Amino acid sequence: MALVELRGVCKSFRKGDETITPLDHIDLDIDAGEFVSLMGPSGTGKSTLLNLVSGIDRPDAGTITVAGTEVTKLSRSKLADWRAANLGYIFQTHNLIPVLTAYENVELPTLLLKLTSTERRQRVELALEAVGLSDRADHYPRQLSGGQEQRVGIARAIVAHPQVVVADEPTGSLDTETSEQVQTLLQRLNKELDITMLMVTHDSDVAAIASRQLVLDRGKFLEQSGTTPTRKAEGDEMIKQFG
Amino acid sequence: MTTYVLKTLWRHRTRTLLTVTGAAVAMFVFCFVGSVQEGLHRLTTGADADRSLIVFQESRFCPTSSRLPEDYSRKIKEVAGVREVMPIQVWTNNCRASLDIVVFQGADPEQIRRTRPLTLTEGDWQTFSSQRDAAIVGRNVAQRRGLKKGDQFSIGEISVNVTGIFESSVPSEENLIYTSLAFLQYTRGLDAAGLVTQHEVRLTDDADPDRVASEIDAVLRSGPVATRTRRKGAFQASTLSDLVDLIGFAHWLGYACVGLVLSLVATTTVMSVQDRIKEYAVLQTIGVRPLRAMRLVLAESTILCVAGGISGTLLALAALEIGGFAIGAEGATISFQPSLALAVTGTLVSVFVGLAAGIAPAVQAASVPIVNALRQA
Ligand SMILES: Nc1ncnc2c1ncn2[C@@H]1O[C@H](COP(=O)(O)OP(=O)(O)OP(=O)(O)O)[C@@H](O)[C@H]1O
Ligand SMILES: [Mg+2]
Repeated sequence: MALVELRGVCKSFRKGDETITPLDHIDLDIDAGEFVSLMGPSGTGKSTLLNLVSGIDRPDAGTITVAGTEVTKLSRSKLADWRAANLGYIFQTHNLIPVLTAYENVELPTLLLKLTSTERRQRVELALEAVGLSDRADHYPRQLSGGQEQRVGIARAIVAHPQVVVADEPTGSLDTETSEQVQTLLQRLNKELDITMLMVTHDSDVAAIASRQLVLDRGKFLEQSGTTPTRKAEGDEMIKQFG
Repeated sequence: MTTYVLKTLWRHRTRTLLTVTGAAVAMFVFCFVGSVQEGLHRLTTGADADRSLIVFQESRFCPTSSRLPEDYSRKIKEVAGVREVMPIQVWTNNCRASLDIVVFQGADPEQIRRTRPLTLTEGDWQTFSSQRDAAIVGRNVAQRRGLKKGDQFSIGEISVNVTGIFESSVPSEENLIYTSLAFLQYTRGLDAAGLVTQHEVRLTDDADPDRVASEIDAVLRSGPVATRTRRKGAFQASTLSDLVDLIGFAHWLGYACVGLVLSLVATTTVMSVQDRIKEYAVLQTIGVRPLRAMRLVLAESTILCVAGGISGTLLALAALEIGGFAIGAEGATISFQPSLALAVTGTLVSVFVGLAAGIAPAVQAASVPIVNALRQA
C-alpha cells in the first residue's frame, strides 16, 4: 500500500454563480521515500491538492489515506494531532512567527509531542543543523534573509520527524542562488532522512530534482513523467509547456 | 507556548500597557467602592452593632441636639438584661455628611477601657485617666490628621492633649477620639453639665435586645426627656440613612467598572487576534489543536486583565491603608479599610473578567478557516 493514497478526490469552489472544479476525481499514489513534484498552470488546484493531503481542507468527495490513516474521516482536532505527528508543511512565504526566534519557531511543533526537554532540544538543534542555521538560532525572522527564513521554515517542517512533507512553491520567492541551496536541501532531506516529499513548483528545473514529476491540468493529471523511461520525454515536454 | 503569549503581548507593549493601565484604574475604583460597601456592612453587623444599644433623645438626630440627663444611667441599669451603661457626650465638627468628620466621645476612662475593644498602640491608660484634657485618638483619625502622642489638637472650641493612639476591633471606632466625660461636658459652648448625648448599653448574654430597648424607653417615659433606644447598628444606619442610600447606589459604579474592564480587555484581545489571524492558521497547520489555540487567546486576555486588576487592587488597598479614609454624618462614621476579602474579590474578578473578555476572540482564533487565512497575503 502506498504511503499517500488519493481515491476519487473532488473539490470545487463556488464563486458567485460560477462553480470551479479544480480537482475532479483525482487518484494518486505516492510511495514511502518518494520525492514527487507537481506542476501545472496557475489556478489548476495544486495548492488545493496539498491542502487536502495535509488535512487543512476537506474534499467534496473521495478518500485520502496517509500512512494508513484515513485523514478525510478525522475531526478538526484529531486532524491537528495527526498533522503534529505525521505531516510537515513548507509554505511559499515561510510564515514564521515573527515574535519568536528561529530556535523557538522550530521548537513549536515539538511542543505538541510527548518529548522530554532534552529530546526536544536535540531535535531542534539537529533540524537547525540540517538546514545549516545553527549559528542563527537566536535570530528573529526579521533579522534573517529570505533564504534563511525559508530554511527555518523547512527545519520547522521536519523537526517532528513527519512521514510526509508537503511544500507549496518552496523556492517561489527566492533568487536563483538561494533557490538552488533550498533545492539541494530538500533533496538531501529526502535521501538522507528518507522523508517522503510532495512539492508544488512552477520551475521545471526545481521539479527536476524530484524522483517523479506530475503535471496537473483541468482537474486531472495530464502526465506522469519519470515513471517509465519511454514516457519521460513526453512528460518533459508537458513540463516545459506548463511550467 | 507561554513564551509565544508573552512575546506577543510584549511586541505590542504600548497597547498592552494602555490596556493594563485602564484595567488597573477601573479595578482601583472597584475596590474603593467595595471598601465603602464593606465599611457600611461592618457598621450594621457584628456583635458590637447587635448586642449593644444606644439610648438617644426621641426624634433627634444630630448629637448636639440630643440632651439626656446623665443620671438616666441609673434607671437604665435597673432594667432586666442590662449589664452596664456608659453615658457618653458626643461632639462633632460637622453634623452634615463629610469626608473629614471629627467625632469626640467623652466617657469615663475606666469604663472605656473596660467595655470597648481597644488596644493602645501609643501612650497608656494611666495618663489618659489622670489628665483632664487628655484624649486617645483612633488610628484612622491619627493617620488622616497626622497626630501622634504628645500633640496638642484643637478644633472648634475643643483643644485636647493627645496622650495615646488606639486600634479597635470595631473599625468605625478608629474614627473616634475619646476624652473624659467631664471634659466634654464642660467645654465652652456645649454647656452640658449633668447632661449627655447618649447612653450606650451593654446587654447580658441572654437578653433580647429589642425587648430591653422598648423596656428602657418605657421606664424613661416618666422622666423629663423622652428617649428612643435602638441597637447600635440600627442606630448608626438610621443616622447615616442618606449616606446609606448613596452608598447603595455606588455599588452600580462598581459593576460599571467591571464592565469597563471587560470591554477594554476584550477590545484589545479581539484586535490582537484579528491582526494575527494568519498566525493562528499557521499554528493549526503545524498541529496546534483548535482548543489549544483558544487557550492561548484566553491566556493572553487573562494576563492583561490580571496584571491590570491586581495592580489596581494593590494600589487601592495601599491607598486605603495609608489614607485612613472615612465618611460620616451626625457623629456616626463609616471607615474604608483594606481587607483580605477585598484583595481576594479584586483578584477573582480580574481572573473571571479576563477569561470572559477572551471568549469571543478565542473562538475566532480556534475556528479560523485555515486555507482562507493562509491565502491572505
Ligand atoms: N477558498 C477558495 N475559495 C474560492 N476559490 C478558491 C479557493 N481556493 C482556491 N480557489 C480556486 O480554486 C482554483 C485552484 O486554486 P489553487 O490555489 O489550488 O491553484 P494553484 O494551482 O495552486 O495555483 P497557483 O499556481 O497560482 O498557486 C483557483 O481557481 C482558485 O481561484
Ligand atoms: Mg498555489
